[in-house]
Formats: sequence, C-alpha cells, structure tokens
Amino acid sequence: MTDPIAEPARWDESERLAALRDYGILDTAREAAFDDVVALIARICETPIAVVNLIDSGRQWFKAEVGLGVRETPLATSFCAHALLNEDGLVVPDATKDARFDGNPLVHEAPGLRFYAGRLLKTPSGLPLGTLCVLDTQPRPEGLTELQETALKTLAGQVMSQMELRRALRQRDEGRDALERALEASDDVAARLRASEAQFRVLADAMPQMVWSTRPDGFHDYYNARWYEFTGVPAGSTDGEGWNDMFHPDDQQRAWARWSRSLETGEPYEIEYRLKHHSGVYRWTLGRAVAIRNEDGEITRWFGTCTDIDELKRLEQGRELVSQELSHRIKNIFAVVTALVALSARQYPEARAFASSLRTRIAALARAHEFVRPHTEASQPTVGATTLHTFLADLFRAYSDDTGAPRVHISGDDAVFDDQAATSVALLFHELATNAAKYGALAATAGRVELITRRDEDRFVLTWTEIGGPKIEGPPERQGFGSSLASLSVEGQLGGRLQREWAADGLRIVVDLPATALSRRRAAERDRL
Amino acid sequence: MTARILIIEDEALVAMELRFVLEDLGHKVVGVASTSKSAQNLARENEVDLALVDIHLSDGPTGISLGRELGQEMGVTVLFMTANPGMVRDGVAGAIGVLSKPTDEQAVQTAVDYALRRRTGQPVQYAPPGLQLFA
Repeated sequence: MTDPIAEPARWDESERLAALRDYGILDTAREAAFDDVVALIARICETPIAVVNLIDSGRQWFKAEVGLGVRETPLATSFCAHALLNEDGLVVPDATKDARFDGNPLVHEAPGLRFYAGRLLKTPSGLPLGTLCVLDTQPRPEGLTELQETALKTLAGQVMSQMELRRALRQRDEGRDALERALEASDDVAARLRASEAQFRVLADAMPQMVWSTRPDGFHDYYNARWYEFTGVPAGSTDGEGWNDMFHPDDQQRAWARWSRSLETGEPYEIEYRLKHHSGVYRWTLGRAVAIRNEDGEITRWFGTCTDIDELKRLEQGRELVSQELSHRIKNIFAVVTALVALSARQYPEARAFASSLRTRIAALARAHEFVRPHTEASQPTVGATTLHTFLADLFRAYSDDTGAPRVHISGDDAVFDDQAATSVALLFHELATNAAKYGALAATAGRVELITRRDEDRFVLTWTEIGGPKIEGPPERQGFGSSLASLSVEGQLGGRLQREWAADGLRIVVDLPATALSRRRAAERDRL
Repeated sequence: MTARILIIEDEALVAMELRFVLEDLGHKVVGVASTSKSAQNLARENEVDLALVDIHLSDGPTGISLGRELGQEMGVTVLFMTANPGMVRDGVAGAIGVLSKPTDEQAVQTAVDYALRRRTGQPVQYAPPGLQLFA
C-alpha cells in the first residue's frame, strides 16, 4: 500500500489545508498548553508516546509530543492520516495484524509501533486538521478503557479549543495590526503631504522665478519668497486680486483680460507685462500659469510663475537695433553702388543708356530689400503690411500717369514674400514694367496694365495683361536681356513657369508659381511643425 | 529756375553724384556737408534755397533735428533723402517730404522742382512719384 489516504475524502483537501494554515500554528514553537495535554493523556492512557498531530500536505507536524523526539514525519508512514477518514477516531490494537499498516516501516522496523488510538481535531465546520493520539510499542488487544477514551475525546476537544483561541487571538492581532498599519499609513499620507508641501515651498522659494498659486476661482493665496523679494510688498498684501496693482497701468487691462479668459476656459495663461520692482522701476516680466485638474477634469488650482525677462528684452531690442543698423548699411550700399554706376557712366557718354538700365535694376532690388528686411514699427516703408501688392504698387509708382494715378492695376489675392524671393520678384516686375514702358502698353499715353494675382490651391498665378499699347505683329525676333532676366527669375529662382502670349492687342504674360515660392522659409518652418 | 542747394550727405560718392545731377539741371551747389555742424556753418555762411538732408550723418542720426532747424529757423526748404524713409514717416516740421534712396536723376529732378515750386508759391498739381510728402 503506497498511498494511505487514497480513498475518496468527504472534504476538499485544498479547503482543509487552507483552514489548517488559517490557524497559524504550523512550525510554531512548543507551548505549555499543548505540552501539558500530551503529557497528561500519555499518563492517563499509560502509553510511552502521545502527540498533537497536524496533517499538512506531504507531512505530519507535531505541535506537542512525548516519547517521539521529532517534530514531524512523512505522511506516508502516518497512522493519523487513516484517522482522518473516521468520524470519531481510530483505534488500532495491533498494527502487525492490521492490513492498513502492511509494510509501514514504523511498525516493522524501529520503533516497532503496535498500538494506536487517535481522536480527530476538527474545525467548527467539520474539517479534520489532525489528531490527538497515543501510541505504544506493545499491542493492546483490549484497546482503551472507557475513562481513557473519554479523556482522549475531552482533551482532543481542549486542543481544538486552544487552537480556536489562538486563531481568534491571532485574527484580533492581525486586525489590530491592520488597523495600526492603516493608521500608520494615513499618518504617513498626512506626513508625506506635509513633507511634500514643505518641499514645494523650499523648491518654490529656491526658484529664480516668482511662483504663485490661486484657488480655482483665481483668488491668489500663495506667493513664494521671490515675489516678495522682487516687489518688496508686505507678505499677504497681494492676496486675492491685489496683484494687478503691481502691473504697469498700461498693462493692467490686458493682463486682467488674459487671466480672466484663462480662468473661464482653463487655457494656459501666458503674457508679457511690466511688473513693478521694489526699486520703483517696471521690469518686463513673462507671466505663465497652468491649471491643475483632478481625476474628473475639474480645475483644483492654478500654479503660475513670473520670470524677469527685462535683460532678455533689452538684448532682443539690442539685437533688433543691430539688425536694423546692418539693414540700413546694406540699403546705403545700394545707394553708393548706384551713385558709382552713374559717376562712372559720366566718363563714357555712350554708356549712358546701359548705366541707366543698370541703375534702375539695382534700385528695384533696393526697393524689394526695403520690403523684406527686418523692420520695427518705425522703419516700415509703408503703413500696414509689407505684402506683394504694396511692394508692386510702390515699384510701379514711377509709371503713374500725369495726374499721379497708377497705370498698372493690381487686383486679386495678396501674398507675403520673403528676402529669398525678393530679388526675383523685384527683377521680374521691373523688367516687365520697363519693357512695357519701352515697347508695350506703358509706352502709349492711354495704355495700361492689368495685373491679377490669384492663389489657386498650391499654385500662385500672376497674370500681366497689357492693354491699349501699340499693335503687336508677333513675337520679337530676338529675346532681350531683360526678358531673359525675367525668365531666369521665374524659372531658375522661383521654380515656376513664365509664359508669353503675343496677342495682337497686347502682350499677356502668365507666371505660374508654386504657392510656397514667395516665402520658402516660412513654408519650410510650417512643414517642420 | 536756378536754385542754391546744400547737400547734406555723409557718403562722398552719393554726394558727388547728386552734385553732378543738380549741376546738370542748372542748379548751384553751395556745398556738401557730412555732419550737422558743418551743415549749420554752411547754411549760415551762404544763401541757401533748398537743402537735401540725409538722416544718418557722420555724427549719427542727427539729420532729423538738423532738417527741422534749417526749415523752421533758417528759412531753408528741406527735402530729406534717406535709405530709411520710415524714420521720418510721422513728418518733420518745416520739411516738405522724403525721397527714398537709392534714387535716380528723374526722381531727383522732379522732387527738386516740386520743392522749389512750393518754395516760390507756384501752383503744384501732385507730388512726383518717389517723393513722400509730410502732411
């Protein structure tokens, strides 16, 4: 017989093992309460061996024992495993005569066990955990006396009571521990919050920026040390809405509008304004704030910073000034170059026409440059935007009629152009206009030009139509340098197509450009984003 | 109409070209100044009808106040000529307007004619192209 407990059990073994472990008794130290029980039952039953035996998985473990000298043995040699299958218990008068113990080494070898009497240890719900049992090396055909049997049953009940008691104690302790742990944990959270707030304040005070915070309704209730250091106002005096008085009067309304919008919409707040320093001067400051939201998406707080960007502003203005100065010098060079051309031509009267056309080309470049160079409000060549139409209107002003009215009418979609496109745009229209003034519509008093610019999805199409000029016989036999320059500008530089139609009533030119050609850098930046 | 004209310009080449253009047109160039101070001296020592004034001179952007002084205190008709016309966009009291550089003979001629007609009270119909008038 290899498996002593192979017969079908009336309980679920995993449930039984879980119940046993729940008592928390396995592998604990000896305890007097259990030792006393086994000592007493051994005396009463007059056996050399008595055990409080718990059947674990694969082993039996003894909470208390006399006469055995070990705390556990393998389950294979267990007598008690058999007892688990009996409601009340098991009595084996002589194991050598019991088929269930054939081949059990504890019977046939040392210590040569013969007699066994065990009583089940059962949980209140009836799950067997083990036994209180007595063993002898002498067979005992008469079994136990009635007193001995009663004592065994009573003491088995006592052992179970002890186990119930210690389980209850343990559960109470565990409950208390859990409670204590929970209490500790909640203390911890509070402590962590306090620590976190302390850390925030240390961090906020250490930051080079001013830091502030408001309630969801925008009421300021916190400023870091830097705010008070910068502004020099008494602590707490800018709580609520008092902060707005610290701004430059010209910036207050703008800042208030921006902040109100952020409060309404939850959008991040960002603005530059002048903030009053404790020295009395206003310094440019970058104000930013973001909303902190809870899990439901509701705003619980606003955190904001003010960064002193006065130095940066100064540098920026300085850089703008340098860029202005540089641009001015470039413009001046155009003036010097055209003067040089004119002075040189004075030595050679036959070069006069050549010099004149060169000068006007350079002048056109200078005009275009004026439109695309970095400008401040004050240096803008015209009021309003520097667009293609304003530039062209300026370029064609030289061809106005006797009353100053323009003879090149510009209509359609306007566009902006950058410094990369400026040279090509300037040369193209300078050549078209000078050509028209020499041979085309602008050569006749009543002649005029219609220039229509049209944005067509990814194309930008400019149509130049000459009206009222001399009748055209057909395409010229030879292409002049001006025409080559116009073609080169469009096809070489701007990546477009230039098409000339020599209609009898006037030249018509269609310039078809990629929409990005006029401001490539801007288009490239847009692509990067 | 011959006029006595003062050129106030710190770029020698530009000034020289301007002098030739004006002389070709029959005007008398009384002098070329590259600083405010020399311009004031020349204006005091000579009868000047018209001053062509650059804004950036050898002694800095002093052209604006110089132009105002010439126009308001010394009875000179003032035309600014500058690569940065935006600097006087709001106008300068006592001056007629501004011509953007680089410019050409045609533009100089029409602008100077216009300024001199205004000075002598002759009727003018419209401002020549390239000349921005001060209000």
